[in-house]
Amino acid sequence: MRKFFPVEDLARDSRFSKITIADRMADQRTALNVNVDADGPSKRTNNMRLTPSRRDASDGARGLMHGIFVGEIQALEGAGRTCWDFETGTEAPFALKLDMARQCWDEARHVEISVKLSDWMGSEIGQYAENTVLFEAACSSDPVLRLAGVNRALEGLAIDVFTTMKEFGDLAGDQYLEFCEDWMLADEVTHVKMGSDWLRKITENDPERRKKALEFQNVVDKLFSYGGTRSDSQESPIGLARRFRELAGFTDDEVEVIAEVSMQALNERKVAVGQIREAKRLADQSAHK
Amino acid sequence: MADPYKPRAPFAPWDRRTLPGIFDVEESARRVGNYKWTEMKLFEALGGWVATVPELDVKMRLGTHCYKHAWHAELWHKRLPELREMNPERLTAPANDAMVRFIEAMTEPEAPELTIEKLVGVYRVLIPRFIAAYTYHLNGTSEITDAPTIRSLKFILQDEFEDWRDGEMILQSLIETPEEAARAAAHMQKLEAIMIEAGGIAGIGTLGAL
Amino acid sequence: MTITVTPEVFNYVWFDAEVIRSIATGLVDALGMNDYDVIIEVDETTPLSGISCEIGDTIRIRACSGAFEDTRKPRQQSETATATSIGRVLLRARDRLVGGFGEAPADNDLSLAQVAAWETYSLGRLDRLGVPTNQQRWRYNFRNRLGFTDATDGAFEKIWGSDGLTWGELCAISETAIPSAAK
Repeated sequence: MRKFFPVEDLARDSRFSKITIADRMADQRTALNVNVDADGPSKRTNNMRLTPSRRDASDGARGLMHGIFVGEIQALEGAGRTCWDFETGTEAPFALKLDMARQCWDEARHVEISVKLSDWMGSEIGQYAENTVLFEAACSSDPVLRLAGVNRALEGLAIDVFTTMKEFGDLAGDQYLEFCEDWMLADEVTHVKMGSDWLRKITENDPERRKKALEFQNVVDKLFSYGGTRSDSQESPIGLARRFRELAGFTDDEVEVIAEVSMQALNERKVAVGQIREAKRLADQSAHK
Repeated sequence: MADPYKPRAPFAPWDRRTLPGIFDVEESARRVGNYKWTEMKLFEALGGWVATVPELDVKMRLGTHCYKHAWHAELWHKRLPELREMNPERLTAPANDAMVRFIEAMTEPEAPELTIEKLVGVYRVLIPRFIAAYTYHLNGTSEITDAPTIRSLKFILQDEFEDWRDGEMILQSLIETPEEAARAAAHMQKLEAIMIEAGGIAGIGTLGAL
Repeated sequence: MTITVTPEVFNYVWFDAEVIRSIATGLVDALGMNDYDVIIEVDETTPLSGISCEIGDTIRIRACSGAFEDTRKPRQQSETATATSIGRVLLRARDRLVGGFGEAPADNDLSLAQVAAWETYSLGRLDRLGVPTNQQRWRYNFRNRLGFTDATDGAFEKIWGSDGLTWGELCAISETAIPSAAK
């Protein structure tokens, strides 16, 4: 078996359909309901947060649940690869690899929970396309970058997602969903803390490596905020879970940076949507002439 | 209540443990080092394979078992300094070169169509060897002086039996044709040949001199 | 009966207007609505799955592209999703046109619970027409709106299996789940 496994080779059964980030970016449609004024996107906002009061709440929750399901599979695969890809001692400490093995077990349980929840919500395995961006963050040749990308950025996003879903279950009276999300959230806080602790420990005397890892995390955070999916704004379906991030070892400054990056991603997307809408309006106008 | 000052036998009548054991400290440490090395190689391989198997249930089992073997390695890692090996890395070693070749051969399959081969190596060859080596150690070591090792062995054996059963049942569900049965047997034979050369997880004499 | 689909050519998604037309024709026939012309307008700029229907001289259906999309393959069309989405709104339109639903609020004024009940009623009928449905998906939607209780599940089963209900009867069954459901 090779060291370092390419994302395109991730093994899936026939039910799954993979898309890449390039596919996703090529899709010019947007769920963002941007109000466009004459001079660009309006300051008026629309509440898109995933709550039961949204008209498409059930389908939205099902889609997000499937996203969690495939994300857990990739997180499991990523942690597993970190066990295999690096030599113990010379490339990665024994204790770090033990933590990654523990994470494998946790993620495997999360996959199990997600399958049960998807059944509960009426989704089928593979019903939604799988975006493999999460595993891509786990492909770095430096274990510290993997920890920054996977444990801090990806698992950090998982904290935000699980918090949103837990609240959704609570508001809808769905105790089954709320119970499961609560348990998964506890594991994710542990994983983020694991990443934060290892990042500090390994790079204690290597500020350059730490800087690189944090930069990488920043890139991944922005990638995961693509299209404004997650931010403090009510326009994003997923909120930023500040309290749980704090429990996971993020400093206030770090949370602020993520909040800023997420908001930036949302605003960039809004500008892009405004341009697309305007182009379409002009095209329609000229077609009617 | 009985008189608390009345002398009682230090070993109750039902406590039949005895002092003698077949391993001295050095031999016990050597074996524990071999166990740790092999458990490490196993958890690393299980973790690596997760991404390579398309079957969802197998993926989840490998992820779960990966942690169990990592935990076994950790238990042995912690036991080594208690066996006078203050540098656990020194004894974290394969029993011999054949054992290294065995692990290389076991971890060779990568393609998504080779799940049977991956599982055969782990669940039909290596884990049965673990069960044998651990059982021999459990039955042979001093029940009093080596009690900490015995405690770990009992925890670990419980895992090994459960994992072996999980793996064997998955294999039985995957092997559906005579051709697949032949594939499984051929791979098992190939790996067994190397394992025989190695003599077991702790090398020649893993199960004592017969 | 004429069925018009716009746009004829899609730019944001790989949909086929002819496939949409053919599915809609089949449904209009099966539902005995051949007296009406149908216009289907697809907003291909959004992946949301909303769909609405306006009844006048013609039946005008407005759908976001997500309503007809194959969630496994983004931007590609799913015949099942297309049939399910068009079928849902056509059945609702037929209920209003045939009678017995005169007291039902306008679509935009329906509460989330009322929408869920009507969707359940429509999906049960579509299922019996042979359109593939995932009953659990709709049960989950119904529970989200009417509560996660045994009474809710009982109401769901009854609505799913019903034909020929009036608005009053639909509300009465919903009220067995939670008394305020029909409001």
